[in-house]
Amino acid sequence: MSSLLVALRAEAFLVVRGFGGKLVVLAPAGVALLQFLFTQLTTSGQTARQSLLGNNDFDAVAATNAYGYFVDGIKTGLTILTLLLVAQAAYSFSSERDLGTLRHLLIRRASRSNVVLSKLLLLHLQALIAVLLLLLATGWLAGVFWEYGAVVEDGYELISVPEIHAEIRSGISLALLPMPAAIAFGVLVSVSAQSVTQAVTTALGITLTLDIFKSMLGDWGHYLYASFQPSLLDQSYLQDVSRLVRGYSDVLIDERFYQLNLWVPLPTLLLFVVASLIIVRLRQV
Amino acid sequence: MQTQSDTALAITGLTKRYDAVTVLDALELSITRGAIHGLVGLNGSGKTTTIECLLGLQGFQAGTVTVLGHEPTQLYRTQGRVVAIFDTPSLHPGLTVRQNLELARLLCDKPVRSPAHVEKLLGIERYSRFRVSQLSLGNKRRASIAQALLGNPELIILDEPFNGLDAGGVDDVLQLIQHLNRDAGTSFFLCSHQLPYLEQVCTHIAILHKGRIATSGTITDLLGGASSLALVRTEQIDAARALIDAHPGLQARPLDANGYLPVDLGDVSSSELNALLVSNRIGVAELQMQRASLTGLFREINGGGDNV
Repeated sequence: MSSLLVALRAEAFLVVRGFGGKLVVLAPAGVALLQFLFTQLTTSGQTARQSLLGNNDFDAVAATNAYGYFVDGIKTGLTILTLLLVAQAAYSFSSERDLGTLRHLLIRRASRSNVVLSKLLLLHLQALIAVLLLLLATGWLAGVFWEYGAVVEDGYELISVPEIHAEIRSGISLALLPMPAAIAFGVLVSVSAQSVTQAVTTALGITLTLDIFKSMLGDWGHYLYASFQPSLLDQSYLQDVSRLVRGYSDVLIDERFYQLNLWVPLPTLLLFVVASLIIVRLRQV
Repeated sequence: MQTQSDTALAITGLTKRYDAVTVLDALELSITRGAIHGLVGLNGSGKTTTIECLLGLQGFQAGTVTVLGHEPTQLYRTQGRVVAIFDTPSLHPGLTVRQNLELARLLCDKPVRSPAHVEKLLGIERYSRFRVSQLSLGNKRRASIAQALLGNPELIILDEPFNGLDAGGVDDVLQLIQHLNRDAGTSFFLCSHQLPYLEQVCTHIAILHKGRIATSGTITDLLGGASSLALVRTEQIDAARALIDAHPGLQARPLDANGYLPVDLGDVSSSELNALLVSNRIGVAELQMQRASLTGLFREINGGGDNV
Protein backbone atom coordinates (compact mmCIF):
# COMPACT_ATOMS: atom_id res chain seq x y z
CA MET A 1 0.00 0.00 0.00
CA SER A 2 1.37 3.39 -0.93
CA SER A 3 2.61 5.83 1.65
CA LEU A 4 -0.11 8.36 0.74
CA LEU A 5 -2.87 5.77 1.03
CA VAL A 6 -1.67 4.71 4.48
CA ALA A 7 -1.52 8.34 5.59
CA LEU A 8 -5.02 8.92 4.21
CA ARG A 9 -6.42 5.88 6.02
CA ALA A 10 -4.84 6.95 9.31
CA GLU A 11 -6.12 10.50 8.89
CA ALA A 12 -9.62 9.28 7.99
CA PHE A 13 -9.60 7.06 11.09
CA LEU A 14 -8.92 10.11 13.26
CA VAL A 15 -11.38 12.41 11.48
CA VAL A 16 -14.24 9.93 11.80
CA ARG A 17 -13.60 9.37 15.52
CA GLY A 18 -12.48 12.85 16.50
CA PHE A 19 -14.61 15.76 17.68
CA GLY A 20 -13.08 18.28 15.26
CA GLY A 21 -14.11 16.38 12.14
CA LYS A 22 -17.72 16.13 13.30
CA LEU A 23 -17.79 19.80 14.24
CA VAL A 24 -16.51 20.89 10.82
CA VAL A 25 -19.13 18.81 9.01
CA LEU A 26 -22.17 19.53 11.21
CA ALA A 27 -21.69 23.01 12.68
CA PRO A 28 -22.14 25.12 9.49
CA ALA A 29 -25.51 23.53 8.69
CA GLY A 30 -26.49 23.68 12.37
CA VAL A 31 -25.71 27.39 12.68
CA ALA A 32 -27.52 28.17 9.40
CA LEU A 33 -30.60 26.33 10.63
CA LEU A 34 -30.50 28.22 13.91
CA GLN A 35 -30.32 31.46 11.95
CA PHE A 36 -33.45 30.40 10.03
CA LEU A 37 -35.33 29.72 13.23
CA PHE A 38 -34.51 33.12 14.70
CA THR A 39 -35.26 34.87 11.38
CA GLN A 40 -38.59 33.06 11.06
CA LEU A 41 -39.54 34.12 14.57
CA THR A 42 -38.71 37.78 13.98
CA THR A 43 -40.14 38.02 10.42
CA SER A 44 -43.36 36.32 11.49
CA GLY A 45 -43.81 38.97 14.10
CA GLN A 46 -43.01 41.79 11.68
CA THR A 47 -45.32 40.40 8.96
CA ALA A 48 -48.18 40.11 11.40
CA ARG A 49 -47.62 43.70 12.50
CA GLN A 50 -47.49 44.97 8.90
CA SER A 51 -50.71 43.10 8.03
CA LEU A 52 -52.51 44.62 10.99
CA LEU A 53 -51.36 48.08 9.92
CA GLY A 54 -52.53 47.38 6.34
CA ASN A 55 -49.09 47.91 4.80
CA ASN A 56 -48.09 45.67 1.89
CA ASP A 57 -44.93 47.07 0.35
CA PHE A 58 -42.25 45.58 -1.90
CA ASP A 59 -39.97 44.65 0.98
CA ALA A 60 -42.73 42.63 2.55
CA VAL A 61 -43.25 40.69 -0.68
CA ALA A 62 -39.53 40.08 -1.09
CA ALA A 63 -39.32 38.97 2.53
CA THR A 64 -41.53 35.96 1.79
CA ASN A 65 -39.21 34.57 -0.92
CA ALA A 66 -37.20 31.62 0.33
CA TYR A 67 -34.26 32.23 -1.99
CA GLY A 68 -33.05 35.23 0.00
CA TYR A 69 -33.05 33.27 3.24
CA PHE A 70 -31.45 30.31 1.51
CA VAL A 71 -28.54 32.48 0.33
CA ASP A 72 -28.23 34.06 3.80
CA GLY A 73 -28.06 30.60 5.34
CA ILE A 74 -25.39 29.51 2.88
CA LYS A 75 -23.41 32.69 3.58
CA THR A 76 -23.53 32.14 7.34
CA GLY A 77 -22.70 28.45 6.98
CA LEU A 78 -19.73 29.13 4.70
CA THR A 79 -18.42 31.81 7.05
CA ILE A 80 -18.52 29.37 9.97
CA LEU A 81 -17.12 26.58 7.80
CA THR A 82 -14.15 28.67 6.66
CA LEU A 83 -13.22 29.61 10.23
CA LEU A 84 -13.63 26.02 11.43
CA LEU A 85 -11.57 24.66 8.54
CA VAL A 86 -8.75 27.11 9.20
CA ALA A 87 -8.75 26.14 12.89
CA GLN A 88 -8.98 22.42 12.12
CA ALA A 89 -6.20 22.66 9.53
CA ALA A 90 -3.99 24.53 12.00
CA TYR A 91 -4.74 21.91 14.66
CA SER A 92 -4.26 18.88 12.42
CA PHE A 93 -0.50 18.66 12.04
CA SER A 94 0.61 20.59 15.13
CA SER A 95 -1.52 18.55 17.52
CA GLU A 96 -0.08 15.28 16.22
CA ARG A 97 3.41 16.67 16.56
CA ASP A 98 2.72 17.80 20.14
CA LEU A 99 1.25 14.42 21.06
CA GLY A 100 4.12 12.57 19.42
CA THR A 101 1.75 10.42 17.36
CA LEU A 102 3.11 11.90 14.14
CA ARG A 103 6.42 10.17 14.80
CA HIS A 104 4.84 6.73 14.55
CA LEU A 105 3.30 7.53 11.19
CA LEU A 106 6.57 8.91 9.83
CA ILE A 107 8.70 6.04 11.09
CA ARG A 108 6.39 3.24 10.04
CA ARG A 109 4.61 4.01 6.82
CA ALA A 110 4.33 7.57 5.53
CA SER A 111 6.64 10.30 4.26
CA ARG A 112 6.34 13.81 5.65
CA SER A 113 5.00 15.15 2.35
CA ASN A 114 2.33 12.48 2.21
CA VAL A 115 1.23 13.21 5.77
CA VAL A 116 0.71 16.86 4.81
CA LEU A 117 -1.06 15.92 1.57
CA SER A 118 -3.31 13.45 3.38
CA LYS A 119 -4.34 16.13 5.85
CA LEU A 120 -5.06 18.57 3.01
CA LEU A 121 -7.14 16.00 1.13
CA LEU A 122 -9.14 14.96 4.19
CA LEU A 123 -9.83 18.59 5.10
CA HIS A 124 -11.14 19.14 1.57
CA LEU A 125 -13.31 16.06 1.87
CA GLN A 126 -14.71 17.37 5.16
CA ALA A 127 -15.35 20.73 3.49
CA LEU A 128 -17.15 19.05 0.60
CA ILE A 129 -19.40 17.02 2.92
CA ALA A 130 -20.06 20.09 5.06
CA VAL A 131 -21.04 22.17 1.99
CA LEU A 132 -23.35 19.45 0.66
CA LEU A 133 -25.00 19.10 4.07
CA LEU A 134 -25.30 22.87 4.33
CA LEU A 135 -26.95 23.12 0.90
CA LEU A 136 -29.39 20.32 1.64
CA ALA A 137 -30.30 21.53 5.13
CA THR A 138 -30.71 25.20 4.24
CA GLY A 139 -32.50 24.39 0.97
CA TRP A 140 -34.96 22.19 2.79
CA LEU A 141 -35.65 24.43 5.81
CA ALA A 142 -35.90 27.63 3.74
CA GLY A 143 -38.61 25.83 1.70
CA VAL A 144 -40.41 24.83 4.89
CA PHE A 145 -40.48 28.35 6.34
CA TRP A 146 -40.87 30.41 3.15
CA GLU A 147 -41.79 29.88 -0.50
CA TYR A 148 -39.40 29.54 -3.40
CA GLY A 149 -40.37 31.52 -6.46
CA ALA A 150 -39.51 34.26 -8.95
CA VAL A 151 -39.15 37.83 -7.75
CA VAL A 152 -42.43 39.46 -8.72
CA GLU A 153 -43.49 43.09 -8.25
CA ASP A 154 -46.97 44.33 -9.16
CA GLY A 155 -47.57 41.17 -11.21
CA TYR A 156 -44.38 41.73 -13.21
CA GLU A 157 -41.61 39.10 -12.95
CA LEU A 158 -38.41 40.97 -12.15
CA ILE A 159 -36.14 37.92 -11.89
CA SER A 160 -37.13 34.46 -13.08
CA VAL A 161 -36.39 31.26 -11.14
CA PRO A 162 -33.76 30.06 -13.68
CA GLU A 163 -32.02 33.45 -13.38
CA ILE A 164 -32.05 33.18 -9.60
CA HIS A 165 -30.64 29.65 -9.79
CA ALA A 166 -27.88 30.79 -12.12
CA GLU A 167 -26.88 33.65 -9.82
CA ILE A 168 -26.94 31.43 -6.73
CA ARG A 169 -24.79 28.82 -8.50
CA SER A 170 -22.37 31.54 -9.54
CA GLY A 171 -22.30 33.09 -6.05
CA ILE A 172 -21.68 29.75 -4.30
CA SER A 173 -19.00 28.71 -6.81
CA LEU A 174 -17.14 31.99 -6.43
CA ALA A 175 -17.44 31.78 -2.63
CA LEU A 176 -16.08 28.23 -2.59
CA LEU A 177 -13.05 28.96 -4.77
CA PRO A 178 -10.94 30.56 -1.98
CA MET A 179 -11.74 27.75 0.50
CA PRO A 180 -8.85 25.44 -0.55
CA ALA A 181 -6.44 28.36 -0.10
CA ALA A 182 -7.86 28.99 3.40
CA ILE A 183 -7.38 25.30 4.26
CA ALA A 184 -3.82 25.31 2.89
CA PHE A 185 -3.09 28.45 4.90
CA GLY A 186 -4.16 26.63 8.08
CA VAL A 187 -1.93 23.68 7.22
CA LEU A 188 1.00 26.00 6.45
CA VAL A 189 0.65 27.61 9.89
CA SER A 190 0.29 24.16 11.44
CA VAL A 191 3.58 22.83 10.04
CA SER A 192 5.40 26.08 10.87
CA ALA A 193 4.17 26.67 14.44
CA GLN A 194 5.98 25.54 17.58
CA SER A 195 2.86 24.25 19.32
CA VAL A 196 -0.78 23.51 18.69
CA THR A 197 -1.91 26.57 20.66
CA GLN A 198 0.36 28.81 18.65
CA ALA A 199 -0.85 27.25 15.39
CA VAL A 200 -4.57 27.66 16.06
CA THR A 201 -4.36 31.17 17.50
CA THR A 202 -2.05 32.36 14.73
CA ALA A 203 -4.16 30.90 11.91
CA LEU A 204 -7.44 32.26 13.27
CA GLY A 205 -5.81 35.55 14.26
CA ILE A 206 -4.41 36.16 10.79
CA THR A 207 -7.67 35.10 9.10
CA LEU A 208 -9.70 37.54 11.22
CA THR A 209 -7.10 40.28 10.73
CA LEU A 210 -7.29 39.85 6.95
CA ASP A 211 -11.06 40.09 7.26
CA ILE A 212 -10.79 43.42 9.03
CA PHE A 213 -8.14 44.95 6.81
CA LYS A 214 -9.18 43.67 3.37
CA SER A 215 -11.60 46.56 2.83
CA MET A 216 -8.89 49.10 3.75
CA LEU A 217 -6.58 47.77 1.06
CA GLY A 218 -8.86 49.02 -1.72
CA ASP A 219 -8.18 47.37 -5.08
CA TRP A 220 -5.10 45.66 -3.67
CA GLY A 221 -7.42 43.69 -1.43
CA HIS A 222 -8.64 41.81 -4.48
CA TYR A 223 -5.27 40.13 -4.75
CA LEU A 224 -5.99 38.51 -1.41
CA TYR A 225 -7.80 35.17 -1.48
CA ALA A 226 -9.62 36.14 1.73
CA SER A 227 -11.48 38.96 -0.05
CA PHE A 228 -13.62 36.46 -1.93
CA GLN A 229 -14.66 34.16 0.87
CA PRO A 230 -17.82 34.70 2.92
CA SER A 231 -16.73 36.21 6.22
CA LEU A 232 -17.83 38.32 9.14
CA LEU A 233 -17.19 41.48 7.10
CA ASP A 234 -18.42 39.97 3.88
CA GLN A 235 -17.30 41.29 0.49
CA SER A 236 -17.92 38.11 -1.48
CA TYR A 237 -20.24 37.95 -4.44
CA LEU A 238 -22.60 35.82 -2.37
CA GLN A 239 -23.37 38.97 -0.40
CA ASP A 240 -24.60 40.60 -3.64
CA VAL A 241 -26.54 37.48 -4.66
CA SER A 242 -28.41 37.71 -1.38
CA ARG A 243 -29.65 41.17 -2.44
CA LEU A 244 -30.24 40.17 -6.05
CA VAL A 245 -32.60 37.33 -5.20
CA ARG A 246 -34.55 39.78 -3.05
CA GLY A 247 -35.23 41.87 -6.14
CA TYR A 248 -32.55 44.54 -5.90
CA SER A 249 -31.78 44.97 -9.59
CA ASP A 250 -28.77 47.26 -9.09
CA VAL A 251 -26.53 44.25 -8.38
CA LEU A 252 -23.94 43.67 -11.05
CA ILE A 253 -20.70 41.84 -10.54
CA ASP A 254 -17.64 43.85 -11.49
CA GLU A 255 -15.79 42.02 -14.28
CA ARG A 256 -12.36 42.65 -12.74
CA PHE A 257 -13.57 41.42 -9.34
CA TYR A 258 -15.02 38.34 -11.05
CA GLN A 259 -11.77 37.57 -12.87
CA LEU A 260 -9.64 38.05 -9.75
CA ASN A 261 -12.07 35.88 -7.78
CA LEU A 262 -11.50 33.19 -10.40
CA TRP A 263 -7.72 33.42 -10.59
CA VAL A 264 -6.29 34.64 -7.27
CA PRO A 265 -7.17 31.65 -5.03
CA LEU A 266 -5.45 29.01 -7.18
CA PRO A 267 -1.86 30.38 -7.17
CA THR A 268 -2.32 31.24 -3.50
CA LEU A 269 -3.29 27.63 -2.82
CA LEU A 270 -0.26 26.34 -4.73
CA LEU A 271 2.03 28.74 -2.89
CA PHE A 272 0.74 27.61 0.52
CA VAL A 273 0.94 23.91 -0.37
CA VAL A 274 4.48 24.16 -1.74
CA ALA A 275 5.60 26.20 1.29
CA SER A 276 4.04 23.62 3.63
CA LEU A 277 5.80 20.74 1.85
CA ILE A 278 9.17 22.51 2.01
CA ILE A 279 8.84 23.49 5.68
CA VAL A 280 7.69 20.04 6.78
CA ARG A 281 10.76 18.47 5.19
CA LEU A 282 13.12 20.84 6.96
CA ARG A 283 11.81 21.06 10.46
CA GLN A 284 12.22 18.87 13.52
CA VAL A 285 9.23 16.68 14.29
CA MET B 1 33.56 -9.53 9.20
CA GLN B 2 30.14 -7.95 9.61
CA THR B 3 28.11 -7.48 6.44
CA GLN B 4 25.38 -4.93 5.88
CA SER B 5 22.73 -7.61 6.19
CA ASP B 6 24.04 -8.46 9.68
CA THR B 7 23.71 -4.86 10.78
CA ALA B 8 20.42 -3.57 12.10
CA LEU B 9 21.68 -0.07 12.71
CA ALA B 10 24.88 1.68 11.75
CA ILE B 11 25.91 5.16 12.85
CA THR B 12 29.13 6.64 11.47
CA GLY B 13 30.54 10.03 12.44
CA LEU B 14 27.18 11.34 13.59
CA THR B 15 27.56 14.97 14.62
CA LYS B 16 24.71 17.05 15.95
CA ARG B 17 25.06 20.63 17.13
CA TYR B 18 22.54 22.98 18.63
CA ASP B 19 24.06 26.36 17.82
CA ALA B 20 27.45 26.33 19.55
CA VAL B 21 26.75 23.23 21.65
CA THR B 22 27.93 19.94 20.19
CA VAL B 23 25.65 17.22 21.52
CA LEU B 24 26.90 14.34 19.40
CA ASP B 25 30.52 14.45 18.35
CA ALA B 26 31.29 12.05 15.49
CA LEU B 27 29.35 9.27 17.18
CA GLU B 28 30.08 5.72 16.02
CA LEU B 29 27.78 2.84 16.82
CA SER B 30 26.78 -0.38 15.17
CA ILE B 31 24.09 -2.80 16.24
CA THR B 32 24.04 -6.36 14.98
CA ARG B 33 20.80 -8.03 14.07
CA GLY B 34 19.41 -10.09 16.92
CA ALA B 35 21.17 -8.04 19.61
CA ILE B 36 19.59 -6.24 22.52
CA HIS B 37 21.72 -3.14 22.58
CA GLY B 38 21.52 -0.64 25.41
CA LEU B 39 22.69 2.97 25.29
CA VAL B 40 23.37 4.70 28.60
CA GLY B 41 24.54 8.17 29.41
CA LEU B 42 24.10 11.03 31.83
CA ASN B 43 21.16 13.43 31.55
CA GLY B 44 21.66 15.58 28.48
CA SER B 45 24.34 13.30 27.09
CA GLY B 46 22.44 12.99 23.81
CA LYS B 47 20.63 9.67 24.07
CA THR B 48 17.27 10.98 22.90
CA THR B 49 18.97 13.14 20.27
CA THR B 50 20.70 10.01 18.95
CA ILE B 51 17.35 8.24 18.70
CA GLU B 52 15.67 11.19 17.01
CA CYS B 53 18.50 11.51 14.51
CA LEU B 54 18.45 7.85 13.60
CA LEU B 55 14.66 7.92 13.22
CA GLY B 56 14.84 10.94 10.91
CA LEU B 57 12.88 13.12 13.33
CA GLN B 58 15.62 15.72 13.35
CA GLY B 59 18.49 16.48 11.04
CA PHE B 60 22.21 16.39 11.84
CA GLN B 61 25.27 18.24 10.61
CA ALA B 62 27.53 15.35 9.66
CA GLY B 63 27.74 11.58 9.52
CA THR B 64 25.73 8.75 8.07
CA VAL B 65 23.02 6.66 9.64
CA THR B 66 21.37 3.58 8.21
CA VAL B 67 18.58 1.67 9.85
CA LEU B 68 17.91 -1.73 8.26
CA GLY B 69 19.73 -0.35 5.23
CA HIS B 70 17.57 2.78 4.96
CA GLU B 71 18.41 6.42 5.56
CA PRO B 72 16.60 7.98 8.54
CA THR B 73 14.23 10.10 6.42
CA GLN B 74 13.28 7.06 4.36
CA LEU B 75 12.37 4.82 7.28
CA TYR B 76 8.74 4.66 6.18
CA ARG B 77 10.01 2.55 3.28
CA THR B 78 10.78 -0.26 5.76
CA GLN B 79 6.97 -0.74 5.91
CA GLY B 80 6.85 -0.98 9.66
CA ARG B 81 9.90 -3.19 10.14
CA VAL B 82 11.24 -0.48 12.46
CA VAL B 83 9.10 0.76 15.34
CA ALA B 84 9.90 3.10 18.18
CA ILE B 85 8.54 3.62 21.67
CA PHE B 86 9.31 7.04 23.05
CA ASP B 87 9.90 8.37 26.55
CA THR B 88 6.45 9.96 26.55
CA PRO B 89 3.49 7.77 25.54
CA SER B 90 2.57 8.89 22.02
CA LEU B 91 -1.15 8.18 21.96
CA HIS B 92 -4.30 10.04 21.00
CA PRO B 93 -5.83 11.01 24.37
CA GLY B 94 -9.37 11.34 22.99
CA LEU B 95 -9.41 7.81 21.58
CA THR B 96 -9.81 4.63 23.59
CA VAL B 97 -6.95 2.19 24.08
CA ARG B 98 -8.52 -0.15 21.53
CA GLN B 99 -8.97 2.66 18.99
CA ASN B 100 -5.33 3.69 19.41
CA LEU B 101 -4.31 0.10 18.77
CA GLU B 102 -6.59 -0.17 15.74
CA LEU B 103 -4.99 2.98 14.37
CA ALA B 104 -1.53 1.53 14.97
CA ARG B 105 -2.66 -1.65 13.21
CA LEU B 106 -3.46 0.41 10.12
CA LEU B 107 0.21 1.36 10.05
CA CYS B 108 1.38 -2.26 10.08
CA ASP B 109 2.18 -3.76 6.72
CA LYS B 110 1.50 -7.28 7.95
CA PRO B 111 -0.10 -7.30 11.40
CA VAL B 112 0.63 -10.52 13.24
CA ARG B 113 -1.21 -9.81 16.48
CA SER B 114 -4.68 -8.44 17.11
CA PRO B 115 -5.30 -5.43 19.39
CA ALA B 116 -6.98 -7.81 21.86
CA HIS B 117 -3.90 -10.03 21.89
CA VAL B 118 -1.42 -7.23 22.61
CA GLU B 119 -3.74 -5.78 25.27
CA LYS B 120 -3.59 -9.14 27.00
CA LEU B 121 0.18 -9.36 26.57
CA LEU B 122 0.60 -6.02 28.32
CA GLY B 123 -2.13 -6.63 30.89
CA ILE B 124 -4.33 -3.73 29.81
CA GLU B 125 -7.31 -5.66 28.47
CA ARG B 126 -9.64 -4.27 31.12
CA TYR B 127 -8.79 -0.72 30.04
CA SER B 128 -9.61 -1.46 26.39
CA ARG B 129 -12.63 0.86 26.29
CA PHE B 130 -11.05 3.57 28.44
CA ARG B 131 -9.97 6.78 26.79
CA VAL B 132 -6.20 7.17 26.96
CA SER B 133 -6.68 10.44 28.88
CA GLN B 134 -8.25 8.39 31.69
CA LEU B 135 -5.26 6.04 32.10
CA SER B 136 -2.39 6.24 34.58
CA LEU B 137 1.10 6.94 33.22
CA GLY B 138 2.06 3.29 33.66
CA ASN B 139 -0.91 2.05 31.66
CA LYS B 140 -0.32 4.68 28.98
CA ARG B 141 3.21 3.32 28.77
CA ARG B 142 1.88 -0.24 28.43
CA ALA B 143 -0.55 0.86 25.69
CA SER B 144 2.31 2.61 23.95
CA ILE B 145 4.41 -0.56 24.03
CA ALA B 146 1.40 -2.61 22.88
CA GLN B 147 1.27 -0.50 19.70
CA ALA B 148 4.72 -1.70 18.75
CA LEU B 149 3.81 -5.36 19.06
CA LEU B 150 0.96 -5.48 16.54
CA GLY B 151 3.27 -6.13 13.63
CA ASN B 152 6.42 -8.17 13.36
CA PRO B 153 9.14 -5.51 13.60
CA GLU B 154 12.75 -6.44 13.01
CA LEU B 155 14.05 -3.57 15.11
CA ILE B 156 12.39 -1.96 18.10
CA ILE B 157 13.85 1.28 19.42
CA LEU B 158 12.88 2.19 22.96
CA ASP B 159 13.61 5.46 24.73
CA GLU B 160 13.35 5.12 28.52
CA PRO B 161 10.93 2.18 28.28
CA PHE B 162 10.75 1.62 32.04
CA ASN B 163 9.66 5.14 33.00
CA GLY B 164 6.39 5.14 34.88
CA LEU B 165 6.16 1.34 35.14
CA ASP B 166 5.72 -0.47 38.44
CA ALA B 167 7.88 -3.48 39.30
CA GLY B 168 5.41 -5.88 37.68
CA GLY B 169 5.29 -3.77 34.55
CA VAL B 170 9.08 -3.68 34.32
CA ASP B 171 9.22 -7.48 34.65
CA ASP B 172 6.58 -7.86 31.93
CA VAL B 173 8.50 -5.58 29.57
CA LEU B 174 11.82 -7.29 30.28
CA GLN B 175 10.24 -10.68 29.62
CA LEU B 176 8.62 -9.42 26.43
CA ILE B 177 11.91 -8.06 25.15
CA GLN B 178 13.67 -11.35 25.87
CA HIS B 179 10.81 -13.38 24.41
CA LEU B 180 10.65 -11.37 21.16
CA ASN B 181 14.42 -11.42 20.84
CA ARG B 182 14.65 -15.15 21.39
CA ASP B 183 11.59 -16.32 19.45
CA ALA B 184 11.25 -13.76 16.65
CA GLY B 185 14.86 -12.60 16.41
CA THR B 186 13.80 -9.00 16.98
CA SER B 187 16.68 -6.59 17.54
CA PHE B 188 16.35 -3.95 20.24
CA PHE B 189 18.00 -0.60 20.85
CA LEU B 190 17.21 0.69 24.33
CA CYS B 191 18.11 3.98 25.94
CA SER B 192 17.54 4.07 29.67
CA HIS B 193 18.74 5.38 32.99
CA GLN B 194 17.69 2.14 34.65
CA LEU B 195 21.09 0.48 34.49
CA PRO B 196 20.19 -2.67 36.50
CA TYR B 197 17.33 -3.40 34.06
CA LEU B 198 19.60 -2.89 31.07
CA GLU B 199 22.19 -5.15 32.64
CA GLN B 200 19.49 -7.78 33.08
CA VAL B 201 18.22 -7.74 29.51
CA CYS B 202 20.91 -6.37 27.16
CA THR B 203 23.41 -8.42 25.24
CA HIS B 204 25.41 -5.29 24.32
CA ILE B 205 25.91 -1.93 25.97
CA ALA B 206 27.32 1.39 24.78
CA ILE B 207 28.11 4.21 27.16
CA LEU B 208 27.64 7.70 25.78
CA HIS B 209 29.93 10.29 27.31
CA LYS B 210 30.50 13.83 26.07
CA GLY B 211 28.86 13.12 22.73
CA ARG B 212 30.93 10.04 21.97
CA ILE B 213 30.72 6.36 22.72
CA ALA B 214 33.13 5.96 25.63
CA THR B 215 32.94 2.19 25.55
CA SER B 216 30.79 -0.46 23.96
CA GLY B 217 30.67 -4.21 23.68
CA THR B 218 28.95 -7.23 25.08
CA ILE B 219 27.90 -7.08 28.71
CA THR B 220 30.26 -9.97 29.51
CA ASP B 221 33.26 -8.25 27.92
CA LEU B 222 32.52 -4.87 29.47
CA LEU B 223 31.95 -6.13 32.98
CA GLY B 224 34.84 -8.56 32.69
CA GLY B 225 37.05 -5.59 31.83
CA ALA B 226 35.82 -3.51 34.72
CA SER B 227 38.23 -3.53 37.63
CA SER B 228 37.24 -5.69 40.62
CA LEU B 229 36.94 -3.97 43.93
CA ALA B 230 37.46 -5.43 47.40
CA LEU B 231 36.25 -3.72 50.56
CA VAL B 232 38.52 -4.26 53.58
CA ARG B 233 37.65 -3.47 57.20
CA THR B 234 40.67 -3.28 59.51
CA GLU B 235 41.87 -1.41 62.62
CA GLN B 236 45.25 -0.69 60.97
CA ILE B 237 44.12 1.48 58.08
CA ASP B 238 47.41 3.35 57.51
CA ALA B 239 49.56 0.22 57.62
CA ALA B 240 47.17 -1.62 55.32
CA ARG B 241 47.14 1.27 52.84
CA ALA B 242 50.95 1.49 52.78
CA LEU B 243 51.26 -2.24 52.24
CA ILE B 244 48.62 -2.36 49.50
CA ASP B 245 50.03 0.62 47.60
CA ALA B 246 53.50 -0.92 47.74
CA HIS B 247 52.23 -4.15 46.16
CA PRO B 248 52.26 -4.23 42.32
CA GLY B 249 48.74 -4.40 40.82
CA LEU B 250 46.95 -3.27 43.96
CA GLN B 251 45.71 0.21 44.72
CA ALA B 252 43.90 1.54 47.75
CA ARG B 253 41.22 4.21 47.40
CA PRO B 254 40.11 6.70 50.06
CA LEU B 255 38.01 5.26 52.89
CA ASP B 256 34.32 5.05 52.03
CA ALA B 257 31.53 6.43 54.17
CA ASN B 258 31.09 3.09 55.97
CA GLY B 259 34.73 2.88 57.06
CA TYR B 260 35.74 0.32 54.44
CA LEU B 261 39.01 0.61 52.58
CA PRO B 262 38.21 0.03 48.88
CA VAL B 263 41.00 -1.75 47.03
CA ASP B 264 41.31 -2.09 43.25
CA LEU B 265 42.42 -5.68 42.79
CA GLY B 266 43.64 -5.64 39.22
CA ASP B 267 44.86 -9.19 38.55
CA VAL B 268 45.22 -10.05 42.22
CA SER B 269 42.59 -12.29 43.77
CA SER B 270 40.80 -11.50 47.03
CA SER B 271 42.44 -14.48 48.77
CA GLU B 272 45.89 -13.21 47.77
CA LEU B 273 45.01 -9.79 49.21
CA ASN B 274 43.85 -11.43 52.43
CA ALA B 275 47.05 -13.51 52.64
CA LEU B 276 49.18 -10.43 52.02
CA LEU B 277 47.54 -8.49 54.86
CA VAL B 278 47.55 -11.37 57.37
CA SER B 279 51.15 -12.37 56.62
CA ASN B 280 52.15 -8.78 57.44
CA ARG B 281 50.30 -8.97 60.80
CA ILE B 282 47.42 -6.75 59.75
CA GLY B 283 44.20 -7.98 61.27
CA VAL B 284 41.39 -8.25 58.72
CA ALA B 285 38.01 -7.86 60.40
CA GLU B 286 36.07 -8.18 57.13
CA LEU B 287 36.80 -8.54 53.43
CA GLN B 288 34.04 -8.45 50.85
CA MET B 289 34.04 -8.37 47.07
CA GLN B 290 32.08 -5.78 45.18
CA ARG B 291 30.76 -7.37 42.00
CA ALA B 292 31.48 -5.46 38.79
CA SER B 293 28.22 -3.90 37.61
CA LEU B 294 27.05 -1.68 34.83
CA THR B 295 26.40 1.02 37.39
CA GLY B 296 29.98 0.75 38.62
CA LEU B 297 31.36 0.83 35.09
CA PHE B 298 29.14 3.79 34.24
CA ARG B 299 30.33 5.72 37.31
CA GLU B 300 33.91 4.86 36.48
CA ILE B 301 33.60 6.25 32.95
CA ASN B 302 31.73 9.34 34.05
CA GLY B 303 34.25 10.06 36.78
CA GLY B 304 31.85 9.28 39.61
CA GLY B 305 28.96 11.10 37.97
CA ASP B 306 26.00 11.08 40.26
CA ASN B 307 23.21 11.34 37.71
CA VAL B 308 22.81 7.62 37.34
